[in-house]
Amino acid sequence: MYQCKDIADEVNNYIDGDLALGKRIGLFFHLLICSCCRNYLQQIRSTISIVTVARPKEQDGTDIDSLAKRLHSLCHEEHDHH
Amino acid sequence: MNFFSKLKKNDESQLIKQLIAGDERAFQQVVSEHHNTMLSVARAIVGDAFADEVVQDAWISAIKALPQFEGRSSLKTWLLHIVSNGAKTRVRRENRMSSLDEHWESEPADKFDHTGHRYDDVLPWEQATPEEILANEQLQTIIEQTYQELPALQRAALTMYDMEGIEMNEICNILSISSSNVRVLLHRARTTLHHKIEQYQQSEK
Repeated sequence: MYQCKDIADEVNNYIDGDLALGKRIGLFFHLLICSCCRNYLQQIRSTISIVTVARPKEQDGTDIDSLAKRLHSLCHEEHDHH
Repeated sequence: MNFFSKLKKNDESQLIKQLIAGDERAFQQVVSEHHNTMLSVARAIVGDAFADEVVQDAWISAIKALPQFEGRSSLKTWLLHIVSNGAKTRVRRENRMSSLDEHWESEPADKFDHTGHRYDDVLPWEQATPEEILANEQLQTIIEQTYQELPALQRAALTMYDMEGIEMNEICNILSISSSNVRVLLHRARTTLHHKIEQYQQSEK
């Protein structure tokens, strides 16, 4: 019989569909009877959606415009070279 | 291949033609779209100290190799493989390795009794959609900060899987780790972000 702790440990594999069928069914039955775990599952799903929408970024001091310009010049040089 | 995949592939073929033809706007678009994810991958493999250099080198290699790009993968995946190969070469030269287990805090054990049941109720979050939640600037800042504090491998796994939609087998190849390890990284990254959002939700009540 699966418990709340099992849901906490496997919630991401459950969402991503990366669980053996027996375990998936076991967790599904726990979710049927446990509203806390249903809420927890929903919160993790929301977390994934929030991150997907928020798209947080690496800290980066690169000047994207000047990098693009340098690569553009390099492309021209390569083109001329050939 | 479905209609949208075909449309995307056609758009990408067009973009690559523009790059080869030396269209400046195409360079701006590609660099701004992919630089940050490339940096994430480089940091995960080689660490902070060499990541910038590895990414700059990867861009130069990619531009030189662009006429040979055959479109067997997406441009994004191709760029990530180039940066990954460069980072792995650098790792061998510098003899550095990132650890999978750095800075991880699991779900606190005191949330469960000895039978594995939760002590406390878990309540549903109030706001309905991610867009509504993100309308809050304070929460947006919390997410950005939490993401940046995650270990580099967790950031790379989360960025590629959840934000960029890259296939699991590609992520395994890019990071040279097993799918079960990628799953562990995703679990840790999402759980940490969930804790922070949950703390914020509770502080607002």
